[in-house]
Amino acid sequence: MDYLKIKRNLENYTVRNIPKRLITVNASGDTVVNTSSPNYYYGQIPEYKIDKEGFFILDSAGEKIPNTIDINIFITQEYDDMGIFTDMDFIPKQPPLSQPPNNFNPFLDGRIAGGPVDFYYTPPISVTGETDDSHLNYVKSLRVDSNGLPIYQPFLNVSKEDGQFDGVTDNNNQRVKYKLGADINNIGTTGVEFTTYHQEFVKSTNIVGEDVTWNKTTFKAVDGGWNSSNIDLYANVKEEEFLGIVFPPEISDDVFINRGVADIFERNAILSEIKTTDDLDNFRGGYLVSE
Amino acid sequence: MATGNYGTVRPADVSVDDVEILYAYSPSRETLNTVELEFLDPTQVLLPANDPNSTTEVLGGMYTLKLPTAQFGNKGYYSIIIRPKQIRTTIVDCGVLVDMPDVKGLVFDISQVPSTDQNKFENGSLVGYRVEYLETDGSKIPNLYRIITSNNRALPISQPAGNNNATQAWSFNDNTTTTFCTLTPSSAPFVKPNAVPFIGNPLQDVIITNTYFDPVMLEVEMVEYDDETLAYALYSNQTKSLEDGVYTIYNFGNEIYKQYNIFEVKDQFTGKPLYEVREQKSIIDPTKDFDDITNF
Repeated sequence: MDYLKIKRNLENYTVRNIPKRLITVNASGDTVVNTSSPNYYYGQIPEYKIDKEGFFILDSAGEKIPNTIDINIFITQEYDDMGIFTDMDFIPKQPPLSQPPNNFNPFLDGRIAGGPVDFYYTPPISVTGETDDSHLNYVKSLRVDSNGLPIYQPFLNVSKEDGQFDGVTDNNNQRVKYKLGADINNIGTTGVEFTTYHQEFVKSTNIVGEDVTWNKTTFKAVDGGWNSSNIDLYANVKEEEFLGIVFPPEISDDVFINRGVADIFERNAILSEIKTTDDLDNFRGGYLVSE
Repeated sequence: MATGNYGTVRPADVSVDDVEILYAYSPSRETLNTVELEFLDPTQVLLPANDPNSTTEVLGGMYTLKLPTAQFGNKGYYSIIIRPKQIRTTIVDCGVLVDMPDVKGLVFDISQVPSTDQNKFENGSLVGYRVEYLETDGSKIPNLYRIITSNNRALPISQPAGNNNATQAWSFNDNTTTTFCTLTPSSAPFVKPNAVPFIGNPLQDVIITNTYFDPVMLEVEMVEYDDETLAYALYSNQTKSLEDGVYTIYNFGNEIYKQYNIFEVKDQFTGKPLYEVREQKSIIDPTKDFDDITNF
């Protein structure tokens, strides 16, 4: 917990002004201040903000504005990743909700009871970008023209997967369009569409400093976002043995025994057993891997 | 398998609905009275700053505490505690999951929680919350807390009473108002496999607190004088009325800051001056307005 010491001077909030209309001269010629006036605040800290004449300042709704002593503070949060969760099946609430609650936020509100998985879907989006022309060679036909250049035959399916279309959809002198991973029964609206331009080139430098050149290529993919292909609803349960384990176990042997973490002290306890570098290799038959 | 979990300290962007503010007042440091804390409504006194790039985006970290002068207008010391909001409820049961008998947890009834906080008990929303425990006499068990690591609505399934505190097993089911929370630590220690950490008892009262920010305590000292007001006495405009001996000190805005009567005390018989006196006036003489005096 942070402990902050702050000093504020009450004088900064004390009224030192007397409205002129509260100052009068009596019959004997003495100057008199009407200190009983509700607009007289000299030497006081008013509860609500007032103007120079001692009247309340009102907000846009006609309400008096509380007089406040303002202090800026900085609040922080310490955050630690607790590691992976386990997905478990659950019995959904019946009947399911037909509409999400007002202001429903799937990322903040969690898995609400009765909420079907489509509450968590996002509208399909189209993603566009640029890439290199490395996929073009894959969709070419095996024939070449008189110049020895490959012929791109529209709707020639080069995919080896059943029901999938990989191939050129359109070709002219300027560019060739082709699709990868499209549904063979719905080529137009599925798959990733590439367009490679014959006469436009992109020049760049690779990571070893060599100049590389390729035909300008754009891509367009539809049906992005969260949908039935990439999310589902489960009860997320934290198993304590996986506390602090942020990736699933990587199996690097034919036989792999995942002991997990028995308790919060085990990782420290393991280190106490390691005395030499040989221990690293031999501990629990290769439990620890040094790379 | 990676155990190198990460953590960081980030500017908090907690909603003021998840904050509690308490304060205590003491007129001096020497006051021996028992500290009496009172609540402030965070929605009235705590204001998050908005990011300059977007008026609807909370900047994070920076909050303005607007202390009402009606409560904070006295000279003295105000101790202000800003802490995560506490939710008080009762443990319905302590049990295990049907499908994972090694996973122990607490069960709360969402319908017993104040309606304003029930949305915080939805599936997965309690992750990171802290649980503290109360004795039957209402006192708080010191130095004992557990952290909720997951929560899901669950329904009990009858089974023979088992070990630990489990009286029945729980199965995830959204058609219920009870939620099953896993906590840490709840596993047997490495060196004492039979000793299970205490996570609570059925019908025990608990305090559930979010961990959206680290608590902050402020000691606000309200003073009547600082460098600025001392500078009034040294460097600001002043007048001394030769007719009635009123000595006036103005602030830097030429408003009357202090007024004094200056006079001599003389021996009533001999007329010999004994003292020169400067006595603060309790009632301000408004005729000594600096602009009126100098506007000739």
